[in-house]
Amino acid sequence: MAVHFVLDTKELPEGTHTIVTVNGREIGLYHLNGSYYALNNYCPHYGAPLCAGHVGGTNLPSDVYQYEYGKQGQIVRCPWHGWEFDIKTGVSLFDDKIRTRTYPVEVRDGKIGIVLGK
Amino acid sequence: MSERIKVIDVDVHNEQNDSDLVPYLPEPWKSRVARSGLGMAGSGYYSPVGVMRRDTIPPGGGKAGSDPDLMIEQLVERYDMEYAILTGVIYNVSATHDPDFAAAVCSAYNDFLIDKWLSKHKVFKGALAVATQDPYLAAREIDRLGSHPDIVEVIISSAARAPLGQRMYHPIYEAAERNGLPVAIHPGAEGAGSSTAPTAAGYPTWYIEWHTCLSQMFMAHLVSMVCEGVFEKFPRLKVVLVEGGIAWLPHIMWRLDKNYNALRSQVPWLKRRPSEYIRDHCYLSTQPIEEPDNPQHLVDLFNMVDAENMILYSSDYPHWDFDPPTGILRKLSAEAKHKIFYDNARKLYKLSPRD
Repeated sequence: MAVHFVLDTKELPEGTHTIVTVNGREIGLYHLNGSYYALNNYCPHYGAPLCAGHVGGTNLPSDVYQYEYGKQGQIVRCPWHGWEFDIKTGVSLFDDKIRTRTYPVEVRDGKIGIVLGK
Repeated sequence: MSERIKVIDVDVHNEQNDSDLVPYLPEPWKSRVARSGLGMAGSGYYSPVGVMRRDTIPPGGGKAGSDPDLMIEQLVERYDMEYAILTGVIYNVSATHDPDFAAAVCSAYNDFLIDKWLSKHKVFKGALAVATQDPYLAAREIDRLGSHPDIVEVIISSAARAPLGQRMYHPIYEAAERNGLPVAIHPGAEGAGSSTAPTAAGYPTWYIEWHTCLSQMFMAHLVSMVCEGVFEKFPRLKVVLVEGGIAWLPHIMWRLDKNYNALRSQVPWLKRRPSEYIRDHCYLSTQPIEEPDNPQHLVDLFNMVDAENMILYSSDYPHWDFDPPTGILRKLSAEAKHKIFYDNARKLYKLSPRD
């Protein structure tokens, strides 16, 4: 297990995201509601750069003709086919088995670190 | 060589003269129909074959399909059918313009059906016709007669003013579910009266095109019903897609499921993949069965979507493109045949073995 410090917290304000490269891996780093999340920049569908996708909210499961908009800022849509993924878990919204890899994030001394390996 | 198989036929067209409905109509419709007939709207497409099998015209006169005794001889006894679901043709009235007239015609027909056909022979079960112009009137009719022991489903026209999943139609599905009846959807008036164009591209030139493209109507209605959440709202509802073809089913399931992956946020009320709703709630009737050069290809297609649990045999007697139960689907396994020719319909319509 290794923590790779990639950014100062000042460089990733609340509500923003960026893409960093660690050990040759592209990882999307998101700052959402005071926490940081790291997501593999790779869509399990066709390998598109997932973290280049639009970040927003979505319509949560609801009754017919009811709209429950939620998870604002927590959903990334793949730029190629629009699949939605939960940034906090990497899990797609249409099938629990479809997911992209996530990594633990550690913040120490004003620096954001991504944890790779076991 | 044909082994004996048990058969339920889910699409048999009984016919009558317009004047036969007059005694069952209230005024002002009674006087109107007595003077001028029903005035159904036609699609305007000429068929060189005609619509009826010529050998089904009763020797003593009258319309093809109008004589119960001849129907029993030519269809029921010849193919040893256990039940024949009478679907009529009155559902075509949904393409006409006046909602009150259309509802009154359906009510008169339903009373006539019970009176003159369903009481005639135990083999006959009936589809309760309702018009879609005013779904609240349709729901009232379903509540009026839906509990009759010989009524086994509701039938509506696939020729409609809008995709049939849309919310204004929901009172029909609500009433059908309340009465424990499947809703059958049947083509015939596509392009007529106030219904939409008969194909997605507009009005084709000939009947051969019109007839081939009827399956488009069913694809559009089915996608609409799934996406509008009809099966979430009415979880006990079953829908029978009659005479709309079958081979398109894998295509629509795959295409809709794929789109759901990307577009589910538009239909957040869907809790499962769209194809699962189709599998659990929908049935398709066989006639006119697709006939590929290699018959095994159709069996392969069925297997792709486990279709043998969703398919119901239909003959379409006495129409020109009649499919005899002894002629079609010969490549199927005995088990699949038993489901398609008999058991799926027996379960869906809750029919007990006769005698």
